[in-house]
Amino acid sequence: MPARALPLFLSLLPLLHAAIPQPADWVPARWTYSDPHSLDLLQNSPVNCLLLTTYPAALVSAAAARNLATLAVLTPGEDTVAAARRALAANVTGIVLEGDFAEGAAASVREAVRGAPVIELTARNRMPLGSGAPVIGTYQGVWPGIPAQADAVVKAGPTSSVWIDTNTGFIRAVRAWGGAALWIANRPPAHTIITAERYQQVIADAEASGGRWVLALDSDFTARLGTREARALADWNKINAVLAFYENHPEWRRMTEAGRLALVQDPAKGGLLSGGILDMIAVKHTPVRPVPRQHLTPDALRGATMAVDLDADALTAEQKEVLRNFARGGGTLLTGPPGWKDQAPRGESITLDQKELERLNDIWHDVNSMVGRANLGVRLFNVSSMLSNAIASADGKTEIVHLVNYSDYPVEDVTLQFLGTFQHATLLSPDGAAKPLEIYKVDEETRGVDIAKVAVCATIKLEQ
Amino acid sequence: MTRREWLAMIAATPLLKAAGAPDAPASPVAIAKCASYDEDLAAKLGTLFTQLGGLEKLVGNKTVTVKVNMTGPPSNRVQGRAPAITHYTHPKLLGAAAFLMSRAGAKRIRFVESAWATAGPLEDVMLDSGWNVRSLKASAPNVLFENTNARGAFNGYARFPVPGSAYMYPGYDLNRAYEETDVFVSMAKLKNHATCGLTLSLKNCFGTLPASIYGDDAGVDEPNEKPTSGRGAVGHDGKRQPSKSAPQELHFGASHDPGYRVPHIVADLAAARPIHLAIIDGVETIAGGEGPWIRGVRMVSPGVLVAGMNPVCTDAVAAAVMGYNPRAQRGAAPFETCDNILTLAEAHGVGTTDLKRIEVRGVPIEQALFRFGA
Repeated sequence: MPARALPLFLSLLPLLHAAIPQPADWVPARWTYSDPHSLDLLQNSPVNCLLLTTYPAALVSAAAARNLATLAVLTPGEDTVAAARRALAANVTGIVLEGDFAEGAAASVREAVRGAPVIELTARNRMPLGSGAPVIGTYQGVWPGIPAQADAVVKAGPTSSVWIDTNTGFIRAVRAWGGAALWIANRPPAHTIITAERYQQVIADAEASGGRWVLALDSDFTARLGTREARALADWNKINAVLAFYENHPEWRRMTEAGRLALVQDPAKGGLLSGGILDMIAVKHTPVRPVPRQHLTPDALRGATMAVDLDADALTAEQKEVLRNFARGGGTLLTGPPGWKDQAPRGESITLDQKELERLNDIWHDVNSMVGRANLGVRLFNVSSMLSNAIASADGKTEIVHLVNYSDYPVEDVTLQFLGTFQHATLLSPDGAAKPLEIYKVDEETRGVDIAKVAVCATIKLEQ
Repeated sequence: MTRREWLAMIAATPLLKAAGAPDAPASPVAIAKCASYDEDLAAKLGTLFTQLGGLEKLVGNKTVTVKVNMTGPPSNRVQGRAPAITHYTHPKLLGAAAFLMSRAGAKRIRFVESAWATAGPLEDVMLDSGWNVRSLKASAPNVLFENTNARGAFNGYARFPVPGSAYMYPGYDLNRAYEETDVFVSMAKLKNHATCGLTLSLKNCFGTLPASIYGDDAGVDEPNEKPTSGRGAVGHDGKRQPSKSAPQELHFGASHDPGYRVPHIVADLAAARPIHLAIIDGVETIAGGEGPWIRGVRMVSPGVLVAGMNPVCTDAVAAAVMGYNPRAQRGAAPFETCDNILTLAEAHGVGTTDLKRIEVRGVPIEQALFRFGA
């Protein structure tokens, strides 16, 4: 193509890809196959966006023919602008900048590719929160699951409850800042056997909180799937069933957190961490509503009965007044200890070290005491291996409670108790069956439903 | 050891030196095989009760309090499995027992447990364990629940003096549910215990102690009605006294050995708060310890139910079913590092551990044998 034709070509790109979904609707996967026939694997998959490190013409054109977006993944260390131009010349839909590039690199690439989508997958503390970008993302994430007990202490006394590694707190904190689609693009841990259930868990971990995990299969699975091994295909179908379960409900992404406990936190600080206060509250299944400090208004606290202000010194006088009014209006307010500051991730670390955890414990004990057995919207029972997320429609007439099970076994006999005047309850699960649930009275304010079994994930829909 | 050798050994044990009182009462014990919780548990239990002479006389027009075993937090699980098939008594057994007791004329059935580190409603802990509380409530007309980890719905505590010479404390302050009852039932799990060797109907009642008084965070003077810890410091280790409102330890500081302390406390409790009926769930359980916090516990399926009107006799038979000599002394399995609760309770006159004096009804021990030490 002559050099002078490139700008014209680039300006037509969005039209050329008119049938391809908008970036906010992309369901991304790292695609390591170069054979166009590999795309047959996506026939019944919601994946519609491929992240490519090489972009052979045959694969890219075959993807376009199937209305799949293709994104060239560029990493630091090369002439990024030149590489982006080469990639677009190979007809990919857009660019992914993965890693921590020099200041201004992303802007230069955007300038060079003129309108083609550029998605940045950065360290968490470099994410452009609140920037208005349709998609923001990070390459940093924990691998969700129940960590193995490496040093189980032998003693004749029971210990405390199960911890679950999760990205949900981070995802929820960031999504509370703005409406951008959030991609979390960590890869499977090396030297680990990863079952289909683990892939389903990592997908559900992100999706149940409104994020998207960039699907990335380990090398063994990739090889077996590439040869169409029967078991790998069966696992692939299970993985896609979970993806489809969430992606078939775009309305869930538009719902807001339903908890009556508000956590006022700076998403650009502690909200970027995994294993922080939001995850601690989540493990206790207390429905909590993250409120970015920057968005702290009376409206943001509407319906909340309790609030935790993690970093009081960071608030403006106006914001402090909002919290004072909340307390005057009958809300219970818990403020972090004087001088306590919410910490942001440092370097490559996205979890709290022991010292920070101990520091956070001071607040955690107070939060735990404040919440007690209160029903702050929903209470769940027999969910120690699960995390949940309660969200509600804008009109309050529908509430959704997502459940993700991180254990190796299905969990039986889960109970959900909820507040509100919901008349209908339905259990939704990736197997496609919607099952009405019997609602029973627990007390004057509370109703309950029983869920017989949850495999990897399930959702309870409550409707008035 | 062959099965024949083992039977010869337990038959000979009365000849060995025993700490027990020679005239401690003996009472029949019944054993049933039950391979699964999906079997008709009411029929199985009903047969056991009939073999013991029937429930009517025991529970007719009475309030019955059933202490179940829900040790540790419900979130702490063996390989992620439901606690009822590992270390908790199974709720279907509770339901079957309540149904049969009600049918035998019980006017009120109250399930109790001092739930781990909380004074909240026992129903919440049951729900967190995956138990269907609604089904349990529906199993009989008047089923109640009480978390006895604090005083709960009652105004204060009930004091249970230890008759005769107490080992550890002259008496124990418990939730009043243990006093305001006509019949006290210990519904236990057939399993080992890291501190006491065995968890059976006697050891199950260590869990009657309220953490509000005997917990690590119990009040110094008065009970802490919001306990959030276990009973390690008072009961296991003797590092502190219970709240001063309760009877204090007789020889405080004399022993910090949990293997001495806990069995002696349990034997005291068996004398102070008599158990009228012992039911032991050995359908599915764990071996090697009492809960998932013990390294190396393994899931096992002995497929048995054991019941008796005397807890020492019942535990003696249950221990034999587990492949142990119920009169083994400290140093021998399963009491390698502890004193034998059974013989300590026997010495208090609660019941005999002498298998020769205990009539076993239903399935013979030999046919129910499931070696936990294997």
